[in-house]
Amino acid sequence: MHKVFVYALSTCPYCRAARAYLDENDVEYDVVEVDKLEGDEYKAAVEEVRRVSGGTAFPVIVIDDESVIVGFNKKRIKEELGL
Amino acid sequence: MSDATARRRFAPGTTIEDLKAYMGPFVDRLGYKFNTESSFVDDVLASELEILEKTGDVYCPCRVRTGDPKEDVRIICPCISFHRDEFAAIKKCWCGLFILKEVEDGSELFGVIEALSGDVEVPVFRVEDLPPGQVRHVKVGKNDIAVARVGDEFFALSNVCRHAFAPLADGFMDGYHVMCPWHGWRYDVRDGTTDHPDVDVRTYPVTVRDGEVFVTVRIKR
Ligand code: FES
Repeated sequence: MHKVFVYALSTCPYCRAARAYLDENDVEYDVVEVDKLEGDEYKAAVEEVRRVSGGTAFPVIVIDDESVIVGFNKKRIKEELGL
Repeated sequence: MSDATARRRFAPGTTIEDLKAYMGPFVDRLGYKFNTESSFVDDVLASELEILEKTGDVYCPCRVRTGDPKEDVRIICPCISFHRDEFAAIKKCWCGLFILKEVEDGSELFGVIEALSGDVEVPVFRVEDLPPGQVRHVKVGKNDIAVARVGDEFFALSNVCRHAFAPLADGFMDGYHVMCPWHGWRYDVRDGTTDHPDVDVRTYPVTVRDGEVFVTVRIKR
């Protein structure tokens, strides 16, 4: 089973779409809604997103601590997770 | 995160219709329109209203605020002018609220395309926005470009004079030449050449379609 981690924003339609797609396909994942964090936690999460994705665009999906998919890219999610 | 700022650009009670009325003409000048999927447009604008309530401005709902005002100004919707090359390559803004005018069905662009590279035609302004005999600066990705109009022909060249780096678009046009505002070096807008050896500036291909001017730039990743 793959380890899937999603950095999301509660306001972002593509984050919602990506999560819905994972849910539909019964993919288990951990998620952090970055904009719901406060203070230092928020800053740390923003830094982390920047480090893993090179930017500040969402969603950021990290698979097996290795592959990073920025945005809701169905094709790549499918490929990486073998759906 | 609550980071309400003192500055607030929209009155309390701003609605989706207000945002549409404000953004529509703005993006039209940049070669874009609202997505053809109106329910998606309403969904995104509803998110922006939520963000407006919290922050005092309409930040893009798919980008995170860093706290650095210089960086965050680049994600106030519509953010097209800050990301022209990237958006022209995917034919939409990041979230898909706006699509290039030439796209007929915006739903085909849902999802985000990554790892862009190669030549991209970027809309910069409308033909009527630059009268003949004038030159204007546009920022396309990392490139500072001077777009010049001679009659009905358009040309694009680096905006940076090779002498002391003055902005050529602040200079004036003389036929097919633009004269640098600082020390008067003359560049031919057709090929970027000057009278001084080995200090020509680069030029960019320009196309005009449906009343819009496009400059082609190369995206490297
Ligand atoms: S900076 Fe252009 S001529 Fe000197």
